[in-house]
Amino acid sequence: MQLFKVLWNNTYGLLVDDGRLALGALAGLAVTGVLSALAPQATTHAYAGPVLLGWTCFLVVSNLYAAGRHALRLVESPAVHKG
Amino acid sequence: MNALFAFAMAAMPALLASLVEMVEAMTIVLAVGMTRGWRDALLGTAAGLVALAAIAVVLGTALTTLIPLHLFQVVVGTLLLLFGLRWLRKAILRFAGIVALHDEELIYQREVAVLRAQGVAKTGIDWVGLTVTCKAVLLEGLEVVFVILTLGAHSTAAFHAALWGALAAGVLVLSAGLLLRQPLTHVPENWLKFSVGALLCSFGVFWGAEGFGETWPWEATTLVAILAVFLVVSWGSVRMVRRMLPQGAHIAVRNI
Repeated sequence: MQLFKVLWNNTYGLLVDDGRLALGALAGLAVTGVLSALAPQATTHAYAGPVLLGWTCFLVVSNLYAAGRHALRLVESPAVHKG
Repeated sequence: MNALFAFAMAAMPALLASLVEMVEAMTIVLAVGMTRGWRDALLGTAAGLVALAAIAVVLGTALTTLIPLHLFQVVVGTLLLLFGLRWLRKAILRFAGIVALHDEELIYQREVAVLRAQGVAKTGIDWVGLTVTCKAVLLEGLEVVFVILTLGAHSTAAFHAALWGALAAGVLVLSAGLLLRQPLTHVPENWLKFSVGALLCSFGVFWGAEGFGETWPWEATTLVAILAVFLVVSWGSVRMVRRMLPQGAHIAVRNI
């Protein structure tokens, strides 16, 4: 049972390290899917890829910016300086 | 599409990802072999490989039979994008000094200390050694299986290419481990992780968008352009995060 728990945690961990990043990627895919279902085919053929690529790049940069801000707070935290 | 290019595009990420995971598994197998004996370390490795083969058959069958054909590219693209983003984020945070770099020597020394503290079985099978190696091979190998199955999901040729990539990594790591009999500390683990993350994200975006109806202008050659975009954005992110922190700050947490 323990092994299955470890396996499940590892399988989930394969895909999700930071929940916000994973949710953002899923949201990007969902929005691209909805847009391509609603938009005319010619538009979808030309823009689905660039939209998804642009969104993913934005996601990477914004997520890392947030991680950097969090790290900065850790560096500046008095508890860290005392430690 | 050029067959050699297609082969390389599926084999390369599998080779690089497998190198990372196999080096990590090799460190644990070496630690067990050197402290508790090679028989049980190799038995544990074999047991882990058998379990991995079973998981690969079950997951591979599920992936190719349960998912409707019209959703196939989107599902595989989603899995690759999630997996790639996870590797890419971690590699960027490591380059920026926020997350601790993977240190094979340190992991080896810790593992050796833990294994020695548990004493050695005098007779019969050493279950500690066997379980530790089996678990290491299984858990590290799961990522390799995942990469091979998703990269090779859309054609037999791509599956063979991914499999050859992983096998080549296995031969390389095994040969180096047998020759050196010490952890492979000189493997540039974070560079490999960074490259694999960018490659898998590129495949994820390419197939995900194709599944939604995108017709890429130069077909699969566009993958190279998407990869270039990811590499530039990711390296830019490393520099951005480094600049946000005070000069010389090194946090090295486990995760953030």
